[in-house]
Amino acid sequence: MNLNSSQTLTISGQDVVKNGSQHSWEDAKTILKPSTPSKKPPKPENSITIAVSSRVLFNMEKEQQIFEQQGMEEYIKYQVAHETEPFSPGPAFSFVKALEAVNTQLRDLYTESEELFDVVLITNNHAYVGLRLINTINHHQLFIERFCMTGGNSPIGYLKAYNTNLYLSSDPVKVHEALEEGIAAATMFTPEKMTEVSETQLRVAFDGDAVLFSDESEQIYKAHGLDKFFEHEKAHENKPLDHGPLKGFLEVLGKLQKKFYAKGQRMDCPIRTYLVTARSAASSGARALKTLRSWGLEIDEALFLAGAPKGPILEKIRPHIFFDDQMFHVEGAAEMGTVACHVPYGIAQRVPEGKGIKDKEISSIK
Amino acid sequence: MVSTVQNTDVKQKDVGQAVVVAVSFAAVFEAEPGDARSGYRLGVALPLLQVLQKVNERLLEENPAEHQLFDIILITTDSWQQQQSFSIINSTRRHGLEVSRFCFSKEEDFIESLMQNNVQLFLTTDGNEALQATQQGVPSALLDKNLASCPSEQLRVLFCEDAIIQPHAGSTAASKKSAQQSFLAQLGQIRQKFGMFNSPVCFTLVTSRGGKDSCCSTLKSLRALGVSVDEAYCLGGAPRGPFLSLLRPHLLLSDGFTQLDG
Repeated sequence: MNLNSSQTLTISGQDVVKNGSQHSWEDAKTILKPSTPSKKPPKPENSITIAVSSRVLFNMEKEQQIFEQQGMEEYIKYQVAHETEPFSPGPAFSFVKALEAVNTQLRDLYTESEELFDVVLITNNHAYVGLRLINTINHHQLFIERFCMTGGNSPIGYLKAYNTNLYLSSDPVKVHEALEEGIAAATMFTPEKMTEVSETQLRVAFDGDAVLFSDESEQIYKAHGLDKFFEHEKAHENKPLDHGPLKGFLEVLGKLQKKFYAKGQRMDCPIRTYLVTARSAASSGARALKTLRSWGLEIDEALFLAGAPKGPILEKIRPHIFFDDQMFHVEGAAEMGTVACHVPYGIAQRVPEGKGIKDKEISSIK
Repeated sequence: MVSTVQNTDVKQKDVGQAVVVAVSFAAVFEAEPGDARSGYRLGVALPLLQVLQKVNERLLEENPAEHQLFDIILITTDSWQQQQSFSIINSTRRHGLEVSRFCFSKEEDFIESLMQNNVQLFLTTDGNEALQATQQGVPSALLDKNLASCPSEQLRVLFCEDAIIQPHAGSTAASKKSAQQSFLAQLGQIRQKFGMFNSPVCFTLVTSRGGKDSCCSTLKSLRALGVSVDEAYCLGGAPRGPFLSLLRPHLLLSDGFTQLDG
């Protein structure tokens, strides 16, 4: 665990392959055992279900513009006319590919187990657009056998019917609805340029307060300022924080990690988790770590930034996905090429962030 | 022997162009009658019949000269019920059901009554009846109290993955197929009369067993018949129950008829 802030990290052991290039993965596939012949999706109660919307899985910017500027009819017409043209990858694409890579490795080690990731496409699109989406899934060789095209109806009921563990969408309204219903969810943004990420190791980075943990400490900071926050955290160091919306997701990742450890794959585990928090190692960080320990959860690397910006450190880590409750950090991460998602939870959503740059720096300190 | 009584309260539809939907008596009225004065209690088909009437209303709003409407007829083979024909007709009136004709026949002739009346969809709560009708080439659907039991402004039709009969050998199969296809085509035409939003008809495809490719090919087959599906759900083996309770279909169409899995 790295307790120094802002230190350059070296990424050991894992290949960092250009995102989108299929070559090295295709080579790797021939070396690995061929996938089991009956590759059916697992039962929802056994698997870890990740629901993604069409606009985060694929790049549909052009079509979105048509919808916004010319309306639904033109949008549908365009989609149908281009039915055989696959969309290009969206921000969630590399994350989904990494999930599949983990699945392949899990199947190798545990051939009968259904404890796998199951990716489900849940979109508001009408079924008219369905054929283009299915064609695109096939074109990119994604293993997505379950989808809902709700034709405009709310996806929330369907998320529950699939026992969804994590929902990613570009629509903050739906994400908020999902969170209200107790489903881990985040709004995903597309960085202008996406940095290369690993094709063999899934990396997931989490902010601490209001993501893994509740926003209780953040409330103290917002109400009473930094000093009071430090005081409070020190005084309550041994009292675990309450859980936040993404604690459950970290938990299921941990369960899968243990399956790899059991087969001797601790050092080069295909799943790696990161805590990237503005808390400081010297003081407020201890409570965060102790909370995780009290939950029986492990995190592979904890980075305490003591208020330093998160973008650069994430650029070094190269996670497939990063979750934060504050748009300031989401934007900062995206600026440097990380696929960052906003978790609209807790006090940060109600109290506006500082306006000036100076204020921003201060307000980013948790 | 088949006898038909017209309901003089209801304007008769143009049989050549209407979509004739026959409903079995038991689906419309509860088995135990109330006393002679109160008539019959309403059965599981009520929400569906009401929403079919709503679709007719909307069709006529779009085009007052519209002939492609749902034409609802009531069929009974129960001789005891036939003796109560007056009471049945009264009950229908009292509940505002737009049943245009009442068909009484002997059990062995009920298929004949379906044919005589040019029935394109037969609705029943009796599995045997549905099976028989299907085998004779009349598309049928089994009504179940699990289907949408609350009033609705929108007719929700659910197609299952085997909604389109694949070609088999044999002439019965061929006529079965063409009757079903013509019914689906008519449904498609009715849907086309409304836009994407605020439509009183909604088509949903649910594929439970096959993967995305099976869903894909069903979408294409339906489209080729003129049926544009609004919503599509590919369950990939996930249990159907939770989805059906979310989707609340009035009508479940598949090859023959389908039982709901709870």
